[in-house]
Parts: sequence; C-alpha cells; structure tokens
Amino acid sequence: MPVEVLLVDDSPGDVRLTQEAFAEANRAIHLHVTSDGIEAMAFLRRTGPYANAPRPDLILLDLNLPRMDGREVLAEIKGDPALKTIPTIILTTSEFEGDIVKSYQLQANCYLSKPVQLDAFESLVKSINDFWLTIARLPQK
Amino acid sequence: MKHEPKPRYAEGTDGGVLQSAERYLAQIEGGYRGLLEAAPDAMVVVSQTGDIVLLNLQAERRFGYSRDELLGQKVTNIIPEGFAERLIADETRSAAEAFTQQIGTGIELIGRQRDGSTFPIELMLSPLDSAEGILVMAAIRDISVRKAAEQHLAQMEGRYRGLLEAAPDAMVVVNQKGDIVLLNLQAEKQFGYRRDELLGQKVTNIIPDGFAERLLADALRSAEDALAQQIGTGIELTARRKDGTEFPIELMLSPLDSAGGILVTAAIRDITVRKNAEKDLARKVEELSRSNEELGQFAYIASHDLQEPLRMVASYTQLLSRRYTGKLDADADEFIAFAVDGANRMQRLIQDLLTYSRVGTRVNNLRDTSSEEALQRALHNLQGAIADSGAIVTHDLLPMVMADETQLIQLFQNLVGNAIKYQKPGVPKIHISATESGPNWLFSVQDNGLGIEPKYFERIFGMFQRLHKRDEFDGTGIGLAICKKIVERHGGTISVESEPGQGSRFRFDLAASA
Repeated sequence: MPVEVLLVDDSPGDVRLTQEAFAEANRAIHLHVTSDGIEAMAFLRRTGPYANAPRPDLILLDLNLPRMDGREVLAEIKGDPALKTIPTIILTTSEFEGDIVKSYQLQANCYLSKPVQLDAFESLVKSINDFWLTIARLPQK
Repeated sequence: MKHEPKPRYAEGTDGGVLQSAERYLAQIEGGYRGLLEAAPDAMVVVSQTGDIVLLNLQAERRFGYSRDELLGQKVTNIIPEGFAERLIADETRSAAEAFTQQIGTGIELIGRQRDGSTFPIELMLSPLDSAEGILVMAAIRDISVRKAAEQHLAQMEGRYRGLLEAAPDAMVVVNQKGDIVLLNLQAEKQFGYRRDELLGQKVTNIIPDGFAERLLADALRSAEDALAQQIGTGIELTARRKDGTEFPIELMLSPLDSAGGILVTAAIRDITVRKNAEKDLARKVEELSRSNEELGQFAYIASHDLQEPLRMVASYTQLLSRRYTGKLDADADEFIAFAVDGANRMQRLIQDLLTYSRVGTRVNNLRDTSSEEALQRALHNLQGAIADSGAIVTHDLLPMVMADETQLIQLFQNLVGNAIKYQKPGVPKIHISATESGPNWLFSVQDNGLGIEPKYFERIFGMFQRLHKRDEFDGTGIGLAICKKIVERHGGTISVESEPGQGSRFRFDLAASA
C-alpha cells in the first residue's frame, strides 16, 4: 500500500528538493503538494478539485504560507476530530523560539528546521521517512 | 532758625541751680525717689546747665562714685561727650528745642567711671517739670554686652557677606522657621527680586516645595535631626522666580551657628542647563540604542532572508554537481564547481553574520555558568576537526563565571577552532587555562601554531579581516569579530600575544561568579 504524504509549501524550489530527497529515501511514497493553507484544507477535506484526494498518512507543513498560514492550518487540523490523528510535522526555515513554542502548543507532532546544506536536508528527509513512515505505528485509516 | 522760648521754661535758665536742685530734691525725695531706685538702669536727673541734680543707687554703682561725689557736679564727669552739649541752647536753637530733639531717642554714648575706664551706654531722656524749669531725666543703660554682640554680628555679617557674594551660586540663609535672613546678589538676579523684597520673607516664595518642610521638626524628629538629615546632600527641587516662571535647582545645605540659633545656608544652583543636557543625552542614548537595535535586527533579518534564496542556489548547484559532473564537458564541470564553492562560502558567511548579529540581540542573559562545561561543549562540537588534525587539547580546571552559556561555548569554539586551523605541519597543541585577576577570571587559549605578526594584533578582531589567502586557509573573517563582540558584551576585553612561528595566546577576561 502506498504511503500518502501531503507537503504544504509555497516555494517550488523547496517542493522539488523535498521530492528529490523523498525519491532518494523511499520510492513508495506519494508526495502530494499544496502551496497554501486554503488548498491544504481543501485537500484534507476533499472539497473542490480535491474531491478524490487520499487521506494522507503524514503532513509536512511550512509555517509561512500565503492566504492561510501554517499556524492556522495546524490549528484547524488539530481542532478537527477527523483530521487530528494525522501526524503533522512543521518543516520550516524559521528558527524563532516563539514559532517552536506556538507550534507545539497547537499540537504539532514535531518541529523541524530546514537545514541549509543539501546533504543535511537529504538526511533530514531520510530521518522523517525512517521514523514517521517506518518505525512509528500510525492509526489505521 | 530762632524761636521764642515758651514762658514756662524761661525761668530756669541759669543761676542758683544747686539751690533749686536741693529744693527740688527735697520736694521730690518722697515722690520720685522710690521710682528712681526701682528702675533697673542707672538714672541721673540733670539740669539744663548740665548739673546732676539727682541719681539712683544703680548710677552710683555703675560709675563708681558715691552720691555725694556726683550731686551738683557736671554730668560731663560721667558722660564726657555728647550729652551736656545737647541740652544746651546755642545760636541755632533754643534750650527747649535742643531738649525736645533728644527726648525719647536712644542716644549711644560713652560713660566714664571714677577710675577713668569707659563703657558704652545708651541714654533714654525724658523731661521732668520743676519749679526751676525743665529738668532732664536720663536712663543710662550699660550696653557693653549688646555692643559686643552687635560688633560680633557685624563682623559675621561682613565675613559672610563677602563669602556669600563671592559664591558663584545663589545663596540664601534661612532660619529654622523658613524665613530668609540673608541673601546674595546672585540670589536677587536668579529669582528676579530685590534684596528687600526677600529679606524676612518665607523661603517658600522662591522654593515652593521641598525645602522649608525639611527644616521643620515633626513628631518623628527633632529640629537638629531634621537639619542634620539635609546637610550636605544635593537635593533637586523646583524654584520660582518673581515672574512665576520655574526652573530646576540643586540645593546644598550647610548649618550656620548664630546667636538666634542654627541657621541654614542654602547654595542654590540653577541646573536648567544640566537638566536639559541630561534630557538631551537620555534622548540621544535612546535614539542610538534604538537605531542600534534596528541595525542589529536588520542585519539579522537580512542575513536570515538572504539565506533562503541562497539555500536554493547552493542546493541546486550541489544537485547539478552530483548528477552531472563528468556528463557534460570539462568547462561545465569547472563552472559548476565554482558555483558550488561560491554558494558554500556565501552560506558560511551568512551563518557567521547571523551568529554575529545574534550576539548583539541576545544580551543581559548573564548567569552563573561553568566555563568548564562550556569548554567541554565547544570541544564536543569540534571533535571532527580535533580528530582530523590530531590536535592535543589540554586544559586546567576552569571556574564558574558570569556568562551567557551559548555565547561562551561559541567563544571557546571559535578560539580553539582557530588554534586547530591555523597550524604549521606537526601536532597542534592547545592549552586552555584561567587565572584569577581581581573580580575577574583571565582566560588563556594558547597554541603552538603559525602565530601572528604584531602589526595584525588589533586588525584580526575586526569584521572580514583575513590574513591568509583563500587557498591556504578558508574563512569568513568574522570568527574573531564574534569573539570580540561576545567578550565585550560580557564587559571584558580580548587580546592576543604571539610570535610568528611560535604560536599565539588569546586572552580574555570574564567576571567571576557572584
């Protein structure tokens, strides 16, 4: 069974890098991408063009997004009984302490800073795959 | 100017004074005697010719004569000058006029005792009607004590006036009731009053609040205590000019002993200029710290935001390099290599700039910190470099200091990192130690590396200062600037001593743990 991952990020460069890194780590992953919070919620609630979207096993969420930012998306996910069990990982460039605290207050499952170096980024994605998609037991869909 | 004497007085002009006196004496013995003797002053009754016709016991005692020796004698025997003359009519005035001019006024003269010694007296004259005409009753008061006191006061005044006027500040002398008893010209100018408008007035006229109250005793303290509490301290208050305008002052008080009790001398300095300067300075400091903070924020945000697009450039050139090296041509390989190298260097530069600006934005986080642990953490972070170089790093037991731990780790990491990096062939040996120096600890990071020429000792701590070509030693030239900023943020200084070829010793000091 394929693993479904939703990546919410508005930077095409980062999206592509993440795709490359996941391709390297685990070929079985279906990486879906939305580029702002509103699209992300539409994807999760299967509305509009996302009527047939799969329920993701894992969400990778950037904090700074157009229209509806990552904090709002996180609050909506964790406030929705149908969505709150999906592990949601903050993956962002922000190292601001306030963002870290706020994210965990909003029940983020984990907060990760995007490393500057390509090697480090690749090994981070590999770690996500190894832990969240391999070691960790996730709820049945 | 001549006047016709009144008929009543005309009879007693001259001749038969003694007889008249005796008669008069006999006549008033019974009536006035008792009154005369009851008076506290020496009393002498004198005729208009200047003869003593009556005196009391006090007069005998004061002048050292017996009654007999004075009765009928000229009053000039005991008051040589200034009295008899005044009683006598001359070409410009009648006897009556001469007399009336003297009545009631306190005339200060010199009295002479029988032994010839003199003393200051004050005369009070009053007329006595008699059959022979007007007699003059003189109350003679010995004013030796008062004169001495007055002289003392005049001396004091003279002395203090000179002092007061010489002072650059406005000076006001106030009694404990808060009345102004003395002031100088500067005080007149400063407050816009004439002297006579202030003398005797309440000091609250010119210093409305905070001064007079302090002089007063209350339930909690005596007058002496109240005063003693104020003496010598610089009290900042507000003063008011005659026109109602106010200005800031500083008061310095000192006590002044006087016959009337303790007085307070207040030196009043107009501190308008100083206050304005202080305000100005405070505003400038605030502006400066704000612009400094903005600059720090700017540096931080700029380097942080620059990092984002740079991460793209670096990541994709690295991907290019990884996937396409050897698949295009030699030129492409070289171009990609330069792009990768440039992006990597820029990333290090931005990392260092971020670190540098973070030192500025995170301040006042000083607490008891183990420098031993900080060094261990730094060495842990450097373990790759230490292993690669084969460096031998030793250290003494290091003390507790007042520091921001993160910054202290950074400081050790940069200094030890440099010591490992700038090496000549051979085994790098690095030793870290600390010695107590007053309230501080003086740290030393010593190596056996390349060393630095003395002319560069200052320069190496500046931003972007590098002493080596990039192909010898890579670096951003920010590392030691970060060290300097960290040490200075902690209130210390950093320096280097070195001999080229022999190694370097970096020293910095940090406050010992409280």
